[in-house]
Amino acid sequence: MSGSTGQNGLIVSAAGLTKVYQRGREEVRALHDVSFEIKRGEFVAVVGPSGAGKTTLLNLVGCMDAPTSGTLALFGKPVQNLKEQERTRLRREQIGFVFQHFGLLPTLTVAENIALPAFFAGRDAASRVDELVFKIGLKHRRDHRPSELSGGEMQRAAIARALINQPGLLLADEPTGNLDSATGESILDLFEQLNREGLTIIVVTHNRSLASAAHRQITLGDGALRLQP
Amino acid sequence: MTWLRLSLKEWQRRPLRTSVTAAGVAIATAALFSLLAFQRGYRDGVRHELDRLGAHILVVPKGCPYDAASIALHGASWPCYLKSRYLAEVRAVRGIAAAAPVFMAAVYDTTGAQSVYVGVETNILALKSTWQIEGTFPEHDGELLVGADAARRNGWRIGQQVRLPALTGQQGTVTGILRPTQGADDTFIFMPLSDAQRRFHHANELTHILVRLTHPDKLDDAVAQLRGCDAGLSMNVVPLAHMFRSIQSLVNSTRLLLGCIALVALLAAGTGVSNTILMAVSERARELGVMRAIGASRADIFRLVWLETVQVCLSGAVLGIGVAFLASRLVEHWVRSKLPFAPTDALVRWEWWIAAACLGCALVLGSIAGFLPACRAARIAPITAMRRAEGWA
Repeated sequence: MSGSTGQNGLIVSAAGLTKVYQRGREEVRALHDVSFEIKRGEFVAVVGPSGAGKTTLLNLVGCMDAPTSGTLALFGKPVQNLKEQERTRLRREQIGFVFQHFGLLPTLTVAENIALPAFFAGRDAASRVDELVFKIGLKHRRDHRPSELSGGEMQRAAIARALINQPGLLLADEPTGNLDSATGESILDLFEQLNREGLTIIVVTHNRSLASAAHRQITLGDGALRLQP
Repeated sequence: MTWLRLSLKEWQRRPLRTSVTAAGVAIATAALFSLLAFQRGYRDGVRHELDRLGAHILVVPKGCPYDAASIALHGASWPCYLKSRYLAEVRAVRGIAAAAPVFMAAVYDTTGAQSVYVGVETNILALKSTWQIEGTFPEHDGELLVGADAARRNGWRIGQQVRLPALTGQQGTVTGILRPTQGADDTFIFMPLSDAQRRFHHANELTHILVRLTHPDKLDDAVAQLRGCDAGLSMNVVPLAHMFRSIQSLVNSTRLLLGCIALVALLAAGTGVSNTILMAVSERARELGVMRAIGASRADIFRLVWLETVQVCLSGAVLGIGVAFLASRLVEHWVRSKLPFAPTDALVRWEWWIAAACLGCALVLGSIAGFLPACRAARIAPITAMRRAEGWA
């Protein structure tokens, strides 16, 4: 997995993270003064009720959005003031995303979907795609379209896509939210396997078994950190 | 994977909608292509036809000069005639190298097939320098020089005595056959002038006089002299170079109008393409957000959507050019039926540069039409990927 780390092997270091959205005249404080650290190789679950700010936190850590205040360092480098292009490069090179809705392009095959981030990075990823479809057990589905896959297979393909550029951090937003419990278990197994191989994983989830499988949990409530063991 | 391949995949998503959008561009491009091809073909056709006539000036009876020129070029019956004695006055004008009198008549047989008989003297050969004759030119009554198509259609050979089509009981001997000229002469049956006047009962009358000058620069002077002579009031003097310019001017005015219509059609098609792609961008917002989330830059998204638009426009243009090419005979038939002066040559003549110009227009159109949707798509934020909408893989 790529990506350097900061002091003490920190992958994520957040201090006083605050995110305020403007909804008309109203200010919505989605996150308030959130501080935490995640070390290399950790498997962390972000939990909390709906509207607690979990996805907002994931957006900030994934460099998809910028905090209103506070500092955020990824791989030892501050990212809160990065320009759009730099954030794009960081997402492409260092971070893998897995969405609840899978986010596969319906017109592309499994192999093409997996190769997409590498294509955006200007890399030929044919051999890496072969390696990944074998690893996630979708070799026989390589040339199938997403509409021909089951939910579990789609999520596996999405995980493979997140891994194509060998990121240092994998972010997953409710990865089992659209799956039945048996399929969800298989996705959990895959996450555990990836974590054992050294990948740092942050998962936003309501799934108790997925959350309990994590090394630790970050609990959010009303945009604030409730508990960090 | 390539950008082109990735953008091509969009056709698969909504093939009907994309195809209908491309069809709009195809219609506009077909109109533009036909217009340019027609303009080219018509100009060249008129020029070649007037060149084949071999004359600088056409002297015809009073009436519409364009109708008269059309009859002289394509062959038909004339509504009125010139007196043969005018010929002497025409020949007396300074600067005239040859003045060839012509008597023309068109007759129809019971099946409606037209035969055009043309009475000429040997001095017509001074004007028809491109003619190649197998056999001999008819110098005596009853002798015939037959155009290549007329000879083929009737199955005539040199030396054969033949019945003259649509002239009941009349006969002649084929002394010569014209090699193909690619003009109306191929369909005519030529005979000595006096013979034609006798057969059609118009002794001492002509339908027109073809005048060739010693030098084209003497055109204005010769025309002035012809109009000023005693017979000038009884005949119409048509300088063919002026007529060519008049016809071209008329066609250019029409072309300008049609060009504006084609341009409006192209702009309408471009607006349609832009609107369709804008809708597609709106529908695909989360998908584009996912692309941004997994590493596509704003420029990448711009390029993708812009390529999709250009692709729709270019596909439509290729389709339009193909349809216009295939339908060119139909268009030509329609245009020919509407024009008062249509040359026998192909009216719609396409060349590679016309196709390239149409593709260039489509490229420019696609580039402009794609700009707004591409900008809008590039502004989609990566967090759009986190939207939890239903019905998407």
